[in-house]
Amino acid sequence: MKRQIIKAALLSLMILGAITSGYSQAKKPTLMVVPSDVWCNTNGYMQTYDDQGTKVKIPDYKRAFQENSDLLAVISKINGVMAERGFTVKNMESVVKTLESERAEDAVLTSKSGAGVSESPMDKLKKVAKADIIIQLTWDVLRTGPKKSVRFTLQGLDAYTDKEVATAGGTGNPSFSAETAVLLEEAVADKIDNFNAGLQRHFDDMFANGREIIIRIKKFDSWKNDLETEYGGKELNVIIEDWVRANSVKGRFSNSDATENMMLFEQVRIPLYDANGNAIDARAFTRGLQKMLAAAPYSIVNKLTAKGLGQAVIVLGEK
Amino acid sequence: MKKYTTIWMLLLITGFSSAVNAQTNKKANADTEAWRYELEVAGTGVQGTYLLKVWSYSKKPNVAIEQAKKNAVHGIIFKGFAGDQGILGKPPLTTNSNLEQEKDEWFKEFFADGGKYQKFVSLASDGAVAAEDRMKVGKQYKIGVLVSVNVALLRKDLEDAGIIKSLSAGF
Repeated sequence: MKRQIIKAALLSLMILGAITSGYSQAKKPTLMVVPSDVWCNTNGYMQTYDDQGTKVKIPDYKRAFQENSDLLAVISKINGVMAERGFTVKNMESVVKTLESERAEDAVLTSKSGAGVSESPMDKLKKVAKADIIIQLTWDVLRTGPKKSVRFTLQGLDAYTDKEVATAGGTGNPSFSAETAVLLEEAVADKIDNFNAGLQRHFDDMFANGREIIIRIKKFDSWKNDLETEYGGKELNVIIEDWVRANSVKGRFSNSDATENMMLFEQVRIPLYDANGNAIDARAFTRGLQKMLAAAPYSIVNKLTAKGLGQAVIVLGEK
Repeated sequence: MKKYTTIWMLLLITGFSSAVNAQTNKKANADTEAWRYELEVAGTGVQGTYLLKVWSYSKKPNVAIEQAKKNAVHGIIFKGFAGDQGILGKPPLTTNSNLEQEKDEWFKEFFADGGKYQKFVSLASDGAVAAEDRMKVGKQYKIGVLVSVNVALLRKDLEDAGIIKSLSAGF
């Protein structure tokens, strides 16, 4: 009797597991609206710093959010529309604030013995505000005599492949009396549908042909071998390329750069789900390659890092 | 006896005129299904709506006015429209060119006279047609009617019914 109960319980668990994996969904990309560099420059929201003798300008997002109410109005309008369509847009103003406060907290955080927070250069880099799709926003007000109109552009950029996946823009109708904020709201209402149609095409393509990712292979200089080292009569770079070909959707990828020290795979189409029906991203996909390289006969110690959903880096030779 | 004749005559006339009306409606519906209409952007509507001028064909102007609502919704789902004078055109709600055939039954019911399409569209100027928007083309009228379509609501309804995919479908 007891054995029967255990059997029934196990069977129920198995069915539940199968149902859960069947319902698993692809990871939803995160979106964030960012004012473009051109807009920041035109409106004076830039910081200049000296990079070893060269003057470099970078956008000062914090000041832009604090001083420009039109920017807030446009972003909240876009956020509202995207939320209606089932996407939560990361609020860049909050992200910038969080980064600021985290930096301040880290600066004063010490242990009893006086040790500071451990932070590698990689960690610092990862703190940069990020999203999977950046919606870059540009507008300027055009004046013809007493009339003004708004020229408005939205660009959806895949943050990791740098491809423009959706775009919409144009100049609105000129008006004698409307405030800039009203013209901007009108511009968002007018252009967001076309932008979303582009985004839909991108998602449709993703579901049909897989998610596009980038894989980089590098080596630590402390490692005595390189990507031309032979294993069983085959160079390591060929072994890696064969793995990517065998595991990408329809074998689609482009090995755009390869030397004895590095390889760059672009436009690698990965399935959205693994064999168990779980959603996967670049890191989960590349873990298979990492495991293969770490196992016999290669036995290469390596380190896997990821950047968002779309980019993975394997560094050979050490952890 | 004369009284009965008059009643019969009246009944016959009523029957005949409603048969003619039904015939005109049927013809107008056939024109819609054959995509015999044109959409023209007429302004920027409030968020979630499109303001359009719909050119429909019919022997009777009042049928064309009612048909304009149906045509506007049909056009937004299947055809989209071009932009004009600084206002962007819009792509159709579906990118599946076979959708109408695949969901034939559903759309027949949706676009039937008095069907659900009415929920999403309203006549922008109480159905008044400007003189220049009323043209005689052969035996028919080509009537331009200004309508406002609540696209946000229409899209949501089609998504909920599983007719078109939502932007976040699959995630």
